[in-house]
Amino acid sequence: MLQLLEPGRIRNEALRTVLLVARREFLTRVRSRFFVIGTLLFMALLAGYIVLQALVFSRATTTVKVGFVGQAQVLAQPLTTAAATEDVKVVRKDPADIRTGEDQVRNGSLDALISGDPASPQVEVKDDLNPTLAATLNAIVKQVALNRALTAAGANATAVETAVASASIQLVYLDPNAALKTQHTVVGIFVAALLYTSLVVYGQIVAAGVVEEKANRIIEILLATVRPRQLLLGKVIGIGLVGFLQLVLLGATALVAVSRTHVINVPNVGVTAIAGGLMWFVLGFVLYALVYAAGGSLVSRQEDLASVTTPLTMLVVGTYLAFFWVEANPTNPIGVALSIIPPLSPILMPARMATGDAQAWQVILAVILTIGEIALLNALAARIYANSVMRIGTRVKLSQAWRGTD
Amino acid sequence: MNASTGGLRIEGITKRYGSLLAVDALSFEVRPGEVFGFVGSNGAGKTTTMRIVLGVLIADAGTVLWGGAPIDFKTRRRIGYMPEERGLYPKMRAGEQLTYLAQLHGAFPDAAAAASERWLDRFGLRDRARDEIQRLSHGNQQRVQLAAALVFEPLMLVLDEPFAGLDPEAVDSMSEVLHERAAAGVPVIFSSHQLELVERISDRVGIIQRGHLVASGTVDELRSGGPNRFWVDAPSARAGWTDTLRGVQVVRNDSTRWLIELDGASSDQAVLQAALATGPVREFRRDVPSLLDIFREAMTEDRVAATA
Repeated sequence: MLQLLEPGRIRNEALRTVLLVARREFLTRVRSRFFVIGTLLFMALLAGYIVLQALVFSRATTTVKVGFVGQAQVLAQPLTTAAATEDVKVVRKDPADIRTGEDQVRNGSLDALISGDPASPQVEVKDDLNPTLAATLNAIVKQVALNRALTAAGANATAVETAVASASIQLVYLDPNAALKTQHTVVGIFVAALLYTSLVVYGQIVAAGVVEEKANRIIEILLATVRPRQLLLGKVIGIGLVGFLQLVLLGATALVAVSRTHVINVPNVGVTAIAGGLMWFVLGFVLYALVYAAGGSLVSRQEDLASVTTPLTMLVVGTYLAFFWVEANPTNPIGVALSIIPPLSPILMPARMATGDAQAWQVILAVILTIGEIALLNALAARIYANSVMRIGTRVKLSQAWRGTD
Repeated sequence: MNASTGGLRIEGITKRYGSLLAVDALSFEVRPGEVFGFVGSNGAGKTTTMRIVLGVLIADAGTVLWGGAPIDFKTRRRIGYMPEERGLYPKMRAGEQLTYLAQLHGAFPDAAAAASERWLDRFGLRDRARDEIQRLSHGNQQRVQLAAALVFEPLMLVLDEPFAGLDPEAVDSMSEVLHERAAAGVPVIFSSHQLELVERISDRVGIIQRGHLVASGTVDELRSGGPNRFWVDAPSARAGWTDTLRGVQVVRNDSTRWLIELDGASSDQAVLQAALATGPVREFRRDVPSLLDIFREAMTEDRVAATA
């Protein structure tokens, strides 16, 4: 005898149904090759991209082989020290005499040969001298000449030198965050791009999942035991969790890659941006998924799906593009308003939070408005879905779906 | 489980699709433990009626009663349903799919898994439990589809064309299951175009045409409801050999074979004697209409009634 749940044994039969549907959606998709390979590929690409950025941004050190002859050997120590601060590494290879040194310059085993009076040394190169090295050398030579002139004039060269060394500019930062700002912008664009991609991809998956059940007719068996609203909700929750899991994995990859390469050195910016991004993914996904699901329920074949999902996808992509303008004009009231009002807020607000432009009240208002719109759309989408999901055949008109009549 | 208290009663169901009247004030009953065969041409309203019973379609008028009271969602969830358009998740494994459906119908996870295994075993699919549905043959997909209707021990079975596309062996195992469930007190309603099959396995039959029932009853009732006719094979008989008999008419004559119709008062033995009087008689048998004959006649009568 089959053991059945009797009414009252489970407090909420409807909730149990929703969770069953959600569990199936989640497990089926997480175990699919599409998800496993796609996620791993994305993680690899993301880590690779961040490492590449780190390599491009880090200043490369140049090595220059220099030979010193005679009196000029006193220049070796100050030149090596000064050049090192400019990322030029001086490798000292003194030749036995000038002639040997010149031969070595000609055959490339030396980059430069320095000889003669330290105040006006002769520098022999093949055809080119590293400009940083040239500038550094010039400054040292001038210092030598200055010291010599000061001594000749009877002054204490060391005292002058100390006085000169302690003199420096008074640096005043008028916009101290400008440097950090660039990094914030990069993180903002990253968050916006990740969110818009996830919303489009997972929104489409929801729509395709709705059509799948219509196309292979299992919908009729399901609706004999599950109410349309429960099926819709379970599907949105299940697929949403898959998207959430993928974002967590991608976010964690980004955080690890960033902390290892130090490409971003704003403290905690990554963690905050990713936490904010995840919260907004949940809100944005529920918002868009409901509309994608309602749209999907209007058609019966995967081939017809594009006609209903394209307008939505355009909206999401447009929102992402709008972010570049909003980011460039952080105080423009139109941009601020767009980032507060759904359906644009789920992409614009987290991006503005990441760039550090969003104020607390704006975030709170945007969250409240989005939750409100979700409540509204939930009612609308459930009605359209319930009225269209059993209509197999030609595309259901929105007016028919709304009224539920032929 | 007390299925015997149930029993399906359909009262005055009407459903329109725009200007098309798909089901027209239809009423009938399927008693507990009864196999009810639902017969009709394409578009007669069988599928629409079944969908209304399941609640996937809402009737414009009329009620579906279960055990005398309007059927509710809780009871509907316990109906085993096989829709005309078969449907399962093609990429889900057979076993997982059945377990999932059993759970959706209210079974505990462990019980659902056990029932899934039991039914796959019953249909000889034990080894295919871990195969995706799309990798099963058409016949095996049909078996899983039927298992999907049975896996949660339904209170009632509603099967739309369950025998369509089945090989004879599968037809036998399917009818066996239907009778077994009926014997357990479950009302079973199924539709089919294979009339000799319906005749063989149904306790009662309903013939539906253009949304209303044109005939219903047990197979015997339907068959005995026709005229009293006999086939006589008498090679020596010549035209007019029945002329002396009262209340007897020749309906057809195919060379040596004669179809004779008797009215209520006349005796079949008198006809046999008259036939023997002409010479040898090779065949003398009652002409019992098949379900196909009854179906054709019902269609004709309905068409005449509609044009009148």
